[in-house]
Amino acid sequence: ADYTLTISSWAPPTHGINAKMWPKFVEMVEEATDGQVTAELKLGIAPPPAQMDLIMDGAADASIIFHGYQPGRFVTTKLIELPGYEGSAEAASVAYWRAYDSFLRAADEHRGVKVIALHTHGPAQLHSNASVTSLDDISGMKVRIPGGVGGDVGSALGATGIQVPAPKVYETLASKAADGVVMPLESRKGFKLTEVAQNVYEMPGGLYRGSFAFIMNEDSFADLPEDLQKKLDDQVFGEPLSREIGKIWDEIDAEGRAATEAADGNAINEASSDDQARFATIAEEVRTKVLAEISEAGVDADAAYDQIKSDLSGN
Amino acid sequence: MSVLIQLARRLSIIPVMTACSALFILMVMTFCDVILRSAFNAPIEAATELTRILMAIMVFSVLPIVSVTNGHIAVDLTDGIFHRYRLSRARDALIYLASGIMLIWPVQRVWILAERARGYGDVTEYLSIPVYLIGWFIAVATAITALAMVIVGLMHVFSPAALRNSAE
Amino acid sequence: MTAALIGFALVLALVLVRLPIVFAMGLIGTLGFAYERGGSIFSERGLKAAMSMVGRQITDTAQDYGLSVVPLFILMGLFVNKGGMARELYAVSNAFLGHMRGGIAMATVAACGGFSAICGSSLATAATMSKVAMPEMRRYGYSDELSTASIAAGGTLGILIPPSVILVIYGLLTETSIGKLFMAGIIPGMLGILFYLFAVRWTVWRNPASGPAGERAGWAERLRALGSVWAVLLLFVLVIGGLYGAFDFEPLNLTFSPTEAAGMGAAGAFLIALFRGGLTLSSTFEVLKETCLTAAALFSVLIGAQIFSNFINLAGLPEALIAMVTAYDVSPFVVILMILGIYIILGCVFESLSMLLLTVPIFFPLVTSLGYDPIWFGIVVVVVTEISLITPPVGLNVFILKGVVGDVSTGTIFRGVTPFWIADIFRLALIVLVPVIVLYLPQQMGALGH
Ligand code: NA
Ligand code: NA
Repeated sequence: ADYTLTISSWAPPTHGINAKMWPKFVEMVEEATDGQVTAELKLGIAPPPAQMDLIMDGAADASIIFHGYQPGRFVTTKLIELPGYEGSAEAASVAYWRAYDSFLRAADEHRGVKVIALHTHGPAQLHSNASVTSLDDISGMKVRIPGGVGGDVGSALGATGIQVPAPKVYETLASKAADGVVMPLESRKGFKLTEVAQNVYEMPGGLYRGSFAFIMNEDSFADLPEDLQKKLDDQVFGEPLSREIGKIWDEIDAEGRAATEAADGNAINEASSDDQARFATIAEEVRTKVLAEISEAGVDADAAYDQIKSDLSGN
Repeated sequence: MSVLIQLARRLSIIPVMTACSALFILMVMTFCDVILRSAFNAPIEAATELTRILMAIMVFSVLPIVSVTNGHIAVDLTDGIFHRYRLSRARDALIYLASGIMLIWPVQRVWILAERARGYGDVTEYLSIPVYLIGWFIAVATAITALAMVIVGLMHVFSPAALRNSAE
Repeated sequence: MTAALIGFALVLALVLVRLPIVFAMGLIGTLGFAYERGGSIFSERGLKAAMSMVGRQITDTAQDYGLSVVPLFILMGLFVNKGGMARELYAVSNAFLGHMRGGIAMATVAACGGFSAICGSSLATAATMSKVAMPEMRRYGYSDELSTASIAAGGTLGILIPPSVILVIYGLLTETSIGKLFMAGIIPGMLGILFYLFAVRWTVWRNPASGPAGERAGWAERLRALGSVWAVLLLFVLVIGGLYGAFDFEPLNLTFSPTEAAGMGAAGAFLIALFRGGLTLSSTFEVLKETCLTAAALFSVLIGAQIFSNFINLAGLPEALIAMVTAYDVSPFVVILMILGIYIILGCVFESLSMLLLTVPIFFPLVTSLGYDPIWFGIVVVVVTEISLITPPVGLNVFILKGVVGDVSTGTIFRGVTPFWIADIFRLALIVLVPVIVLYLPQQMGALGH
């Protein structure tokens, strides 16, 4: 290859992000450029919230960020985190990119870097030591839940938030410092929740969805010859990459579910229809609040929401 | 010169008190968090972000003092050789000057990163404490460290006697 | 590869002229990173990239939640000391072991093992125990070599005997059961204590003056001494019990994570010391101040190590090493030996966490593809990282001792550590040759269906 990009990433090497998503990225980039551009993965250069700074200053060429790790900086990205969407991570990621293209881009929250994909993990569910079978059981629980929309949902359900970085989730649950954690099903495998949180309380559509972006250094992109830039922009970056990454989130969620079904003493309890209806009301309240926040950031939040909603129900 | 050293020593009580308070608060807060959570189901939600901030305050408040009181971890395997050839003073002067000067770039970058965080409106999760304040604090503390190391380096060159007397 | 090796050599050179480690690793790491990103150490773009990485390391390392155990466990150790508990612990040790040559050093090793059961970090174990044990050993006329070495080596047990920060990270890196890893660490940890006891015996056999025998205590005296350690036991029970759920009942439900255990231990030790009248306002201040100064020095080294290891990472040294290993068509066992050799060499310069982060992603797939057990490899990796903590010239546990004790040279400590280092190599050999030592307990656990 004539150009080798350096990818900075976090999460365990075996996590889907590193084991599947970046390899997919490399594959797509190589294919689009006939092998003229490739990339290599470097782990652990800095913690997750540092990645955007590193990319902006060229300490690496590309990286993945989780928007929830930088409260205050990202508001419009909460749009995809709202509970109540139906559909796979693949469909949601595609809808997310389209909403970004037509609405969210205007807020310019990723200024300083080139956004090359937006995606969301599968629906996040409650994983707990004790068996949870109804929404009422959640009230009073101590739950590790990320901030933003997840936090809003947690407090609406009466849970007490506990703030722990993802790699500390295992020990926090093992020592019972937290009763539960809200994460997508893929973490059952990725963070070994099958050992310390045997029970899953599953709400169709999830309690929230996490928002991620793949970002690239602007100079590294400008360094590429124009024909390669065009090929990447047309065939890889944006919707195509977002779709493929969303697909992988679905894949690893399925692996997490399979791991749970295979593990002794693990159970997945789906929310009753009554609870689903009650949760829909809660989701509605959270949505109103978050859409107002997004509007304040200078984006037509309702239009963007409607577009995602219709994209997803059309799928 | 020794008046200046005395003054610096007096003033150093301020950062030391700051660091000690941060550490003590960190201990009490962890204790209260665990007790409140266990017995009353009411943990301190912001405990984690406060832990982070308190650690930064603790470490960077005393960094200048650690840096000029020979507190940094170093390998002394060759001390004997330097002593034998009467090179210890030159070596110490050089090390302090070089270390102090090489901190100038990180100070600038930490400041730039803090300003960037300010531009983006970064805040902490629960208490919405602006992130740039911590960055500013770290940048200023590191700048003081750099300055203090350069001054001690210069003293090794120009007035080693004052340095020796004050060490006693 | 070449750049990384030059980087290693330069760090060694700078460290040997007494440049503090943080500055040696930070400087070379920065320039190396700039070289890797910009093609030259003078490249403006490369330097900007490097400085950004450095700036973030400085702010992020100091705010790493997981590292909060470091100052808090140091603080706990100092309060334990102020509360008179260390003296009592050593009175007991002395009563039971002091009449043997090297007995207090042996008690120190055993106490390190005990402390490791409440502390997940080797650095914190070494720092705490040096506060507690060093004055006592000096009081009993032990040589500095033996005293410091028994603490530096004993402290390494912190990451093998559960809980262990390093095992948790290994489990997450490799998707290996952390519960089983913890179980797997127990027997090798006990073996570690046993082998270190032999190392102490060997040291005093070679030089009887290094660990003089005390008077033999009668059983009445031993029991009396035992009765006086209630405060230590109380603290131990509080921390261990809280960690393993012993107080998890209504209405108390007192449980805490390993990270919180540090804060609970410190607060508990503070209250006990206060209750016993061992603390005044000024002595509390002294304890806090000392903790802050030690922690600042430790965090500085960690920042330097991270910067340097980022350069090594970009320079592709791990990939080059694995290419080297796979280039030779040899038996799996020889590959394991080569990997161990590489670890021991890396151990000269690396700090445990950076070593783990750098190498495990590279070696793990290779080792498991050869048919070795992931749990077993985890323990092997932790044992070699333990060894790195006491391998010259950059042995962090040794530097901790140097930092806390002050008036002893690193050369002295490294000299004293030699028999312990050899004991570690024997233990490593045993674990590699007889994997069942590691795998027995986790297999039992599997049989019980947990
Ligand atoms: Na331990
Ligand atoms: Na070493």
